[in-house]
Amino acid sequence: MAKFIGQRLAQSLFVLFGLSLLIFFIARVVPGDPARAALGFLATQDQVEKMRAEMHLDKPFVVQYYYWFTGLLRGDLGKSSYTHRPVTTDLGQFIPATLELILFATLISLTVGQVTGVLAGYFRNSWFDGLSRLISYLGIATPSFVVAILLIFVFSQLLRLAPSVGRLPIMVAPPPTVTGFMVLDALIAGRVEVALVALKHLLLPAVSLALIHIAQEGRITRTSIVENLDKDYITMHKVHGIRTSRLVFKYLLRPSIIPTVAVIGLDFAFLMSNAFLVELVFMWPGFARYAVTTMLNKDLNAMVAVVLVIGVTFAMVNLLVDILITFLDPTIRIQRRGG
Amino acid sequence: MALLEVVDLHVGYRVFEGYLKVLNGVNFEIEEQERVGLVGETGCGKTTLVKTILRVLPVPPARIQRGQVLYHGKDILLMSPREVRGLRRREMTAIFQDPLQALNPMFTIGTQLRDILKDSQERVGRGQRTQRAITARCISALRDTGMPDPERIMSNYPIQLSGGMRQRVCIAEALSRNVRLLLADEPTTNLDVTIQDQILRKLDQLVDQRGASVLIITHSMGVVRDLTQRLYIMYAGSMVETGRTKGVLASPLHPYTQGLMRSVPRLTGQGISDGIPGRIPNYLQPPSGCRFHPRCAHAMPVCVEAPPPFYPAGDNHRVACYLYRS
Repeated sequence: MAKFIGQRLAQSLFVLFGLSLLIFFIARVVPGDPARAALGFLATQDQVEKMRAEMHLDKPFVVQYYYWFTGLLRGDLGKSSYTHRPVTTDLGQFIPATLELILFATLISLTVGQVTGVLAGYFRNSWFDGLSRLISYLGIATPSFVVAILLIFVFSQLLRLAPSVGRLPIMVAPPPTVTGFMVLDALIAGRVEVALVALKHLLLPAVSLALIHIAQEGRITRTSIVENLDKDYITMHKVHGIRTSRLVFKYLLRPSIIPTVAVIGLDFAFLMSNAFLVELVFMWPGFARYAVTTMLNKDLNAMVAVVLVIGVTFAMVNLLVDILITFLDPTIRIQRRGG
Repeated sequence: MALLEVVDLHVGYRVFEGYLKVLNGVNFEIEEQERVGLVGETGCGKTTLVKTILRVLPVPPARIQRGQVLYHGKDILLMSPREVRGLRRREMTAIFQDPLQALNPMFTIGTQLRDILKDSQERVGRGQRTQRAITARCISALRDTGMPDPERIMSNYPIQLSGGMRQRVCIAEALSRNVRLLLADEPTTNLDVTIQDQILRKLDQLVDQRGASVLIITHSMGVVRDLTQRLYIMYAGSMVETGRTKGVLASPLHPYTQGLMRSVPRLTGQGISDGIPGRIPNYLQPPSGCRFHPRCAHAMPVCVEAPPPFYPAGDNHRVACYLYRS
């Protein structure tokens, strides 16, 4: 197992190095002058030239990459030409906000998606199966930001059940940052009422982000439940008088959950890109919004950092998923052990 | 009263093309402590029959049109799910033909065996002693099947075992509790010939010790001759001949049985036999009357009209064929 993780980590490092080279290069060949973009259109040509020298843009590509890479090894990703702060500071502020959103959305989609998937599969062709199918197709077909706007209209405007802006009300002082997750930080600071308020703020954006994944994961689980129901071994469990709860939640769920777990890794990247629109609608001060803003402003250091962060997250999540599947599926575990 | 009696069972499947009439009035019975063989070619409805008896037939697409499956005189088809579960836990069980598919790949042999024992008992203590007792019973059930090193096998996953070992596990699962009736659906079809023999002998011995009844479903006349007292020949969804195994094999009466016997390759024979011309009928529009008549050399006008009833032919021997009307 340790060997497998080591191998995968080494592979990921290799891929990330390639990714950094690629994005570094692409960021520099796309049209537009980053120095000009940083200074604004009022700056003189002299000032722009000075800025270019400061950003090492007058040097060959390899040298620029060398500067950036040695910086990376020191934990320095350069300065953002848009926020005028170190990129690492920006990332430290924005990443946790989005991560909190995405993780909460994943939690919702996993639980709700699994439960509906199992029920729809076990009671296939029942009214529940039909209803969940209909809602799933709607969920998959409706873009997240449309869902977001609908949710705001119904739950925030009409019913006044949940707020629709930001992570906390302006009047509430945020808890001291420990994890960057507002709900967790509030709990750590012992302010339960703040945690609840933060959770309420999290609810609508997370649900609008999760809906499409609930639909998708529910369908995948439903399909594999139906497929496994026809397997001989499930018939044998029945023949041997295994009780229904054990049959469904142990013997049927375990093999059926694996395909769903496998898509979570891929969904994570999708969540990242989808988060942008949701963050925009809910004015969520998150990483996805930051990422798009840096792209539009040709903020070189921030762009490269953003792509790397997405790369690292994607690699880590998929490594985790692979480890998880190894634990869930003994056949993979045994093959990996080579016995 | 027979242990198990199937009366005029009609079962079909609704498929895209229409309705498949598979079981067409099956009648058969098994007495206490009796070993009965059921022989028929692939697709004649043997597995559908077993699944109907065990109430594991997926309905839909399957549909049980009419008929009764009486266990000690009580109709299994009318039982509540709870009664059916009780029946499976204490009265009857099955072994299916493909041991590679019959074990859940996600759990160890030990987990699967232990759960069967836990759920088959009315009350299970949570204490350590009960747990240990269950484990001990699992290990002895495995050892009974001739499994080498059963303690180690308990913590193995199915993919770590060979086909023969997996079938031993299936037998251990089936016989881990004392059931009255075992339905063995081609238990050795997918195994090597040498392993087949070992497994069958072991199965025979275990059933003997427990005083249970067995229905062995097979293609093999050899298996039937060795292990059963009575025999049913099935063709296209109904029984065509029955009697003492020795009697039927010595003097088969139904033209289908005769063809089946001729098809058995003999070590002393000359080349491959002619077999039976034609193939098993299409269940969407099965032949009227006796379903065998399109392939039968002795077909008469009456064969097309109505399915023949069983005619007695002495010494418990009965045959569903108009040739033996008199």
